[in-house]
Amino acid sequence: MKSSLVRQAVILAALALLPAAGEAIYFRDKISWRSAIAPSEMVTVEHARELGDTAIWVDARPEDEFANDHVPGAISLNEDRWNELLPQFLAVWAPGKKIIIYCSSVSCNASREVAHRLRKEAQLSDVFVLEGGWEAWLKKNR
Amino acid sequence: MKQTSNIEPSSPAAAGTSNIELPSDVRSLGVWRVLSRIVDFVLAGIFIYAGIIKAFDPVQFASDIDNYKILPWPVCVALAFYLPWLEIFCALGLVFRFLYRGALSILTASIAVFTFATIAAKVRGLDITCGCFGHASQNWSFPSHLATNLAILTGLLLLFFKATSGNRLQNAG
Repeated sequence: MKSSLVRQAVILAALALLPAAGEAIYFRDKISWRSAIAPSEMVTVEHARELGDTAIWVDARPEDEFANDHVPGAISLNEDRWNELLPQFLAVWAPGKKIIIYCSSVSCNASREVAHRLRKEAQLSDVFVLEGGWEAWLKKNR
Repeated sequence: MKQTSNIEPSSPAAAGTSNIELPSDVRSLGVWRVLSRIVDFVLAGIFIYAGIIKAFDPVQFASDIDNYKILPWPVCVALAFYLPWLEIFCALGLVFRFLYRGALSILTASIAVFTFATIAAKVRGLDITCGCFGHASQNWSFPSHLATNLAILTGLLLLFFKATSGNRLQNAG
């Protein structure tokens, strides 16, 4: 009886693989297997630099890390002081400007969270996350 | 070989008439069978609904799994593609009684794991949305989330108990 239960479970598990594989192929451009951010919402350091004055840089790292060093012209906007910093950011922002957010490295979540809140709460579009974060920017610029 | 019913009329006089007196334990077995079919359909409906919603938006579901901060992102993505279909297939198994006990065991295990993960997330102070029913469950509080999971788990365990005890009775007979 136990073996038939396991056999049934294995058959069901195998059956579910087929549509799951099909869906993974269908959604391949909408979701990244490497990062929680969709490829269309990410920007490389090179591409970000090409944007020049049409972009606003947002530093999503903690205050002390921002004070230590940051991308020239970047504005600090982190979740710890969101309510305080958001009006300062909106004062600088202008329609049509692209927003590039970064945090420490590939593995940090802060830039993703800030990007999500800017889209959802501030209803802003053209919000991008810098691939590789501050570490990647440092590598390409210093 | 054709099987015949072993339910006998209670007296010879009753034979051939439509008013057959059934023993009370047989009647309660019938009621229990009807009730378990209703539970089958209700649970299957819940899992099909939840599965379809998540299958339509795997990006959101991957993000919901990631919020538990237990698994690496590639595993979250794989599960976001796979789990909704597993739920749907298992739910269909409940409806059509196809691979029934396998479906019950998978659904019971998955709801138990999600309930445990929800409690663990709460203990770790994570403010999560379970994503169980897509956007519909986004604003659920922790108690309502937990109560729903426990109600589903209870229903599944009852069905599992019935399926396995029914099998034992058959084997004993």
